[in-house]
Order: sequence, then structure tokens, then C-alpha cells
Amino acid sequence: MPDKPAGAISRREFARRAAIVSAVASIAPAGAVSTELSSSAVQTPQPASQAPAPAAQSQLPPNMPKLSPESQAEADARFQSILAQYGNRFSEEQKTDLRRLCAAAQPPLDRLRAYPVQNADGTALYLKPLFEREKKPKPPAASKPAASKPAGAAAPATGTTAAKP
Amino acid sequence: MPSEELFYLPITELAKRIESKQVSPVDLTQLYLKRSEKYGPRLNAYARLTPEIALAQAQTAEKEIRRGHYRGPLHGIPYAAKDLLAVKGVPTTWGAKPYANQVFDYDATVIEHLNRAGAVLIGKASMIELAGGMNYRFASASLQGAAKNPWDTSCWTCGSSSGSGAIVAAGLAAFAIGTETWGSIICPSAFCGVSGLRPTYGRVSRYGAMALAPSMDKIGPMARSAEDCARIFAVLAGHDPKDHGTLLVDKAAFTYSPSMELKTRSLTVGWLTNAWKTMDPSVAKIADATEKILRKTFPSAHRVALPQGPWDDVGNVTMGIEGAASFRSLIQTGQVSELTDPLSQINGYVNEQLSGADYLQAQRIREILQKKMADLFDSFDVLATVSQPLPATPLDFNLETGLSFPDSLGAIGNLCGLPALSVPCGYTEKHLPVGLQFVARAGDDFGVILAARTYQSHTDWHRRHPKLA
Repeated sequence: MPDKPAGAISRREFARRAAIVSAVASIAPAGAVSTELSSSAVQTPQPASQAPAPAAQSQLPPNMPKLSPESQAEADARFQSILAQYGNRFSEEQKTDLRRLCAAAQPPLDRLRAYPVQNADGTALYLKPLFEREKKPKPPAASKPAASKPAGAAAPATGTTAAKP
Repeated sequence: MPSEELFYLPITELAKRIESKQVSPVDLTQLYLKRSEKYGPRLNAYARLTPEIALAQAQTAEKEIRRGHYRGPLHGIPYAAKDLLAVKGVPTTWGAKPYANQVFDYDATVIEHLNRAGAVLIGKASMIELAGGMNYRFASASLQGAAKNPWDTSCWTCGSSSGSGAIVAAGLAAFAIGTETWGSIICPSAFCGVSGLRPTYGRVSRYGAMALAPSMDKIGPMARSAEDCARIFAVLAGHDPKDHGTLLVDKAAFTYSPSMELKTRSLTVGWLTNAWKTMDPSVAKIADATEKILRKTFPSAHRVALPQGPWDDVGNVTMGIEGAASFRSLIQTGQVSELTDPLSQINGYVNEQLSGADYLQAQRIREILQKKMADLFDSFDVLATVSQPLPATPLDFNLETGLSFPDSLGAIGNLCGLPALSVPCGYTEKHLPVGLQFVARAGDDFGVILAARTYQSHTDWHRRHPKLA
């Protein structure tokens, strides 16, 4: 198979990017998309006259890792997905921090994906069939039917919860 | 007034005095409680003390021992449990505000085991909120505030078993129970100058413990010596049908007795050359001296390198995704905003976005890593290096930037479920402890215990303790 020219993308990669763009466009609030997208593959290049004002540029978090366009697109999509789901929860400062964290999460993923694995390589995930659990003893026959408890009924007011981890 | 030394006696010595009735469990408990009331708040070491439980358990122990029913080396010994272990009827906060009023109506399996051994619970140790499961930027990421290091109260204890480290180092209890998903026993043990054992994954039941990353979570003891850790581990270990992650009976159980003397087997020690990219000069100096001691103590010791790979990334992805799943409701309801730390409040949202495909890729690399490490352990019984490349950090240190260096051995050890034991191996010029960690093949917890015991039989770093103001 011939080497691809630099900058070329595969059909799979094209489809992935298109999916990211369409997913972001469909789930993100319009305002969020228009104001939060950074300079990435997802964003339409703007002429110089329409470039973000210096004030808007200064909102970009410092120490952002340098990512490839593909990785930047993915990090941006991650950020947009968070905003789409939970956007109204965050302050501007938190949004800036989230954008940085979304970008910071990308290099580990890129390295992880680049590590060669073969189809025959196992996965450290195994179902452990539940052999050993003993059968619960049958409850003694009740002398009269127990009152049914409606679903979601409040727990007794003991101040305790019986949640199991 | 009891001698300060009493509070720092190892379990082995306390047990002898209790069994021979020279020391009363009730008196000992009262002394530790009084000391904990005095110093605990100064160090932010406890989530809460449990004096009623402690005195009742101590009285029971005393009666039993008087009647000649001695249960073993933990009988009548006061301890603290990290506040993510369920204790029936006592608040279990997981160090986090959203769970500040959480009370379970059952005991964690490790608490049951310690009850059965006759140990005395004097309190719940403070901890980093959710054991750091949402990540954190500052040492103050805890319901109790930053845990202060007894060696220098302007420094941190490390986390997430922060209180457990402070309690043992300050002599507020004879031992403490900590947990580790990645670094939470080894790092506090190193920063606080105590001995801490991270057991093989699956040897200690997590039933009743907060889940963070279920494929990596482990529970282990923090104490005064490797031998103390062995005695506590023998009580904690064992198969538990309530924790599906525990090993089968024959693989989980651990037996330890004084008859298991040193030199039962000669160990081949590998001194790691690439565990840390950089090392603080104060630690590097101690590391050099430690390597020399190890070469004398273990004549076959020689240098070795860890396999290279994206192990930190595999660990981060695994822990991030499992952590986001464990606390999904907290993230989705927005209750993460109630957490203390600014990073804890938002990082879960990022981890929630990571994909299943990436998780599975991480698990495939994890299995490759397991095989690489098994190959390495064909040539070595234990690997050794300093536990952390720097000493305890200041309380206001930005951990996200300052303590986020690669930790390949921590990643490897926790991804592969390998046992590790950290023991003190020196002190910096500022009198801050430095730890030495031993890591062995999965299942060979005795290997790390034996290596650390041998090391401690040639050194006395573990016998030093801080002067509390």
C-alpha cells in the first residue's frame, strides 16, 4: 500500500471528523458552539478581519498542550460535549479550566492508541462466573401477607442509609 | 505520665506486653485517645474519634485476656481506619461533603476481620475527598482540611490516606488502615516515615469500602515496621464472597508467624534505574546511600530497568473512566460542585467523556504489561527504588503542576496488582522522611515483607519519630 501524502486523511478519519462536527452541531446550544469553539478543524477559518478580538483570545487557557489538528478537534469536541450536557453549571473560570483539561486529556489518549496491539492480545477484563454464592434460605411462611411497600418509599427515619458500595 | 516511647512501640512489642498483662488494653486505649484528642485536630488527622466503640472493645479485650483467651497479636491494639471503610452506625464520609452524613448499617469486611482479631477502633482517619477519584489540586481537598505532616506541620502527609499517615507517624494509634488505587498507601508512608503495605490486588476484601477504580482498589496496613504490616495483613487477607474481586481461598490467605524467620529464602533485588525521570537532590543523595546498603544486604542485588511504555497513560485512562463510573451520579446531578477542591469539582466531567474503546485499549495494553512484568520477575524477586522522588511538599503546593511527574512504577504496580511495601530509608537535611519501596510479583507479598524486614534489621530509620509541638 503506498504511503499517503502528508496531510492526507483516510476515509475513516474523514468520517470520524464529520461525525464529531455533526454531533457537536446537533447537541451543543448554538450560543455555546459559536462562542466556545477554538481554532481547530471544527471551526471554519475566518478572514483576518473577522478573527477573534484579543480579549477573546486571552480567554484561552495557558499551558495548552500542542496537539495535531485531529487531536485538537477531538479535545474541542469533548469540551463542547460537556458544555452541551452541563454548560449552565460552570463559571467562565471553570470553563477555561475545563477546556485546558480536555486538551490535557488528549496526549495520553494519543499515546495509548498508538501502542500496537494485535487481535490476539487479550484484554484484562474477565467475567468471573458467580459459582460460589449460596442460595438464600427460603423465608419462613408468613402467617399473614406482609404489607406491600410502594416503590421508592422513604427509608425509616433512622438517619442512616443502607447503600452498599 | 507514660513515656513518649510507649506510643511508638511496634505491635510486636505491644502485643507481648498485652499478652503478659503488663499493659492493659483499656489503659492503652485511653492513652492513645487522649493523645489523639490533643494532636489529632492539630494535624487534621481524624475524620472522627470513636471513643465509645474503642472503650467497649478495649474492655472486652481486657476481660478476654484476663480469662486467658488471647486472640493474637492485634488483641487490644488501638488502630484507626480510613474514613472510606464502613463502620456500622458511624458516619463514613469518604472525605467529601456530599457524603458528610452517610451512615452504613454494616461493617466493612476488613473491620469485621479486625473486630474478630480483637483490635480496638479508636477513630476514622481523615482522607482526600473520594480518595482523589476526581483528581485534586491542593492538599486541602478534604472535608477535614489539609492533613499536616507530623515531621513538619507546614508540609503535607500526601494522600489519599492522609490521616492514616499522620496518625501512625504521630503515634496517635499503633497502626492505621489505608487504601491505594494509585499511590495512596505508598506516598503517605514515604512522606510520613512509616511502613505501609499495598497488598496484591484481590487479597483483601473491599466489601464496605468506597469504590473508586474497582480494577485497581486495594486496602492495606500502615504501621511502624514491615513486621507489623505482616501481622496486620495476616488478619486482613482472605477470600470474601462479598467482594467478587478477591482471589480464591488458597491465593488470598496470608499466614504470618514469628517462626517465619529471616533468611528463609535469599532474595534477588533489582535496583531500578529508570523509575523516576528526575529526583530532588536531597532524595537522590539518600537513594545512592540506600542502593549501597541494599547491595551489602542482598549480595545478588544489581541494577535493572523497567520496561518502557505508556503505562502512566494506561493507568490514567483506567482510573479516570472507572472513577467517573463510580461517581457518575455525583457528576450527573452536579453534586461534584460541593467538593472542596477546584479540580475535583470539574475533572469528573472530562473523565466521563472518555470512550469505552479507549478503556478497552488500555486493558489490552495492561495485559501486555502484566506479561512483561512476569518476565522481569523471572530474574528478580523484588524491585526497589525510592518511594517518591521528592520529600513532603508544602501544604499550599499546587499538586497538579508540582506532583504530576510520571510514576511508571506506581502505574505498573497498580495496573498489575503487584504488592509493594514502603519503609523509611533516610531523612533530608530538613528532617523530612524518604521512603524506599519494594515491589514483587503478584501474590508474593511475603517477598516484599521479607525484603523490607531484612532491610529494617540492618537500619533504624523506622525507629525514629517526630517531636510533636
